Amino acid sequence: MSDYKIIFSGPVGVGKTTAIGAISDVEPVTTDEQATDMARTQKPGTTVAMDYGMIKLGERERIHLYGTPGQERFDFMWEILTQGGIGLILLVSNNRPDPFHDMHFFLDTFKAFIGNSKVVIGVTQMDLADKPRIEDYHLQLEDSGVKIPIFEVDARMKNDVSLLVEALLYSLDPGLEG
Amino acid sequence: MTKPPSVPIRMAAIGMDQRQRNALRMLFSTKCGNRYVLMEEDSSEICILDLDAFGGERLWEEFRERHPQRPLILVSLRAREASDDFTLFVQKPIPVDRLITAIEHQRRHLSAKNEDVAHLPPLDIQPPLAEQAGQPEIQQPRKQHATRKAASLMSESMERAFVGTSPNIDPKDPEQLAKIYYNPEHYLQGHLQQALNLAVRHNKDIAVEGPWPAIHLFYESRKIRVSAKERQLRPYCTIPDATLEVPLRFLDQEKNSADGAREYSIAAFHWQLALWASRGRLPIGTDLSQPIYLRRWPNFTRLVVTPYALAIAALWAEQPRSLVDTAQTLNIPQRYVFAFYSAAKAIQLAGETRRAVDTLLAPSAVEKSKHHGLLGRLLGRLRGDKEQT
Repeated sequence: MSDYKIIFSGPVGVGKTTAIGAISDVEPVTTDEQATDMARTQKPGTTVAMDYGMIKLGERERIHLYGTPGQERFDFMWEILTQGGIGLILLVSNNRPDPFHDMHFFLDTFKAFIGNSKVVIGVTQMDLADKPRIEDYHLQLEDSGVKIPIFEVDARMKNDVSLLVEALLYSLDPGLEG
Repeated sequence: MTKPPSVPIRMAAIGMDQRQRNALRMLFSTKCGNRYVLMEEDSSEICILDLDAFGGERLWEEFRERHPQRPLILVSLRAREASDDFTLFVQKPIPVDRLITAIEHQRRHLSAKNEDVAHLPPLDIQPPLAEQAGQPEIQQPRKQHATRKAASLMSESMERAFVGTSPNIDPKDPEQLAKIYYNPEHYLQGHLQQALNLAVRHNKDIAVEGPWPAIHLFYESRKIRVSAKERQLRPYCTIPDATLEVPLRFLDQEKNSADGAREYSIAAFHWQLALWASRGRLPIGTDLSQPIYLRRWPNFTRLVVTPYALAIAALWAEQPRSLVDTAQTLNIPQRYVFAFYSAAKAIQLAGETRRAVDTLLAPSAVEKSKHHGLLGRLLGRLRGDKEQT
């Protein structure tokens, strides 16, 4: 049996749990609890350990989908979760007070992991807040020297989440034959 | 690979700007194990001279006057004959292995300089015959099922509408070449571009009036409203009319709300119009051999995704590549690359590179991920799921 991981990360309430559920073959395992700090204002329950989903590839291979807890006080979990991961899907909500700060914070936090793999960014909740625009996110990363895929995403839509994962796979290996 | 000499060969780059020199420095350190080092001409043993630099021919003449017997590697986009025993020619973009072969040959030339030069073996650094004849290198086409799998995300009729059915062309054949171009200005795509330019200039909303259903452009919200279904609009987007005068009118406030109209983002609408007009062709004047840059990834979740579009974007995001090289590297029909480029260029995400450094070195080969098989199976799985939804 071969096991691999894709990591979903981002702040509280961006839709990590929903995104994993959109493409998982199994009912996602979530560990939501009553939020006790600032997360409470974002959503009533929040992920305190991790989310888990899975995509089965035949009988012998599994892609495990791990969602990191959004609250910074659980950041000790993040490094453990990324070990053995093949790539990072970073979700950022356009409806949070400072989505650019969120994006930079998580890119910085996962810098070492991204350096050995790839990252794609999904901007969620653009139906609730249409600015900043996707091109503004790209402008924020212009000096980084890498061109990261950044897509508008509705975490409930399987097609959107799937395209985000596809972009991650092609970033890892443009010669893939689907 | 030859054993690295203990002392690096001192190289000089003539007629090259700072970016080109940096590219060579990086190449020497990352791909050549620092066997070569870039220095000034006076201290060098072997020189590389870019004939495409301003006054390149004169630079060559003057170099030979200064150093009649110093080993020289000439590079240019146009094929040339080397005129003496101490000069080799390598055509740009330079494949790394050919540059190394040329340097190594000249290095042996250096060692043999005081011996018998005539004993040096002949050097073959010309492109393969197929390339010389303008034919792409023969590659095994991708497995048929792979092509169909990727293409099947679009129905066959949609794919025909967006990408066309044109066969691959030989870029050196003028007759075939003439068939792959279209003039966006003669299509609704061009009229939309004019409307956009006007909207930007005056910061106002615009009505694009013509025989087609009403098209209203709202600049501030970056939206387009069209009072028709796509199948009603498409015929106007695929037929060229060079004589049509299209009045562009500033939109009145009261006309801003149109009931039952379809709404698009400007980028998504422009992208789609470009695909319909292009049908696997290229905007007139596009140079097939010039590397293409991708400014940033398109927002694919809100655009028509043509087959292989993500693979092309991933490739160009790494490094500029020519359109023909892109099709060869991914081993896909050229029309998919041409269609994607036409759409990306329409929304100003892609274009031809203009910097000398971008044509100096040939793009490196695509490295397969160590998880290549697994990633391919996951991709197939995701796409299979999409077909079912």
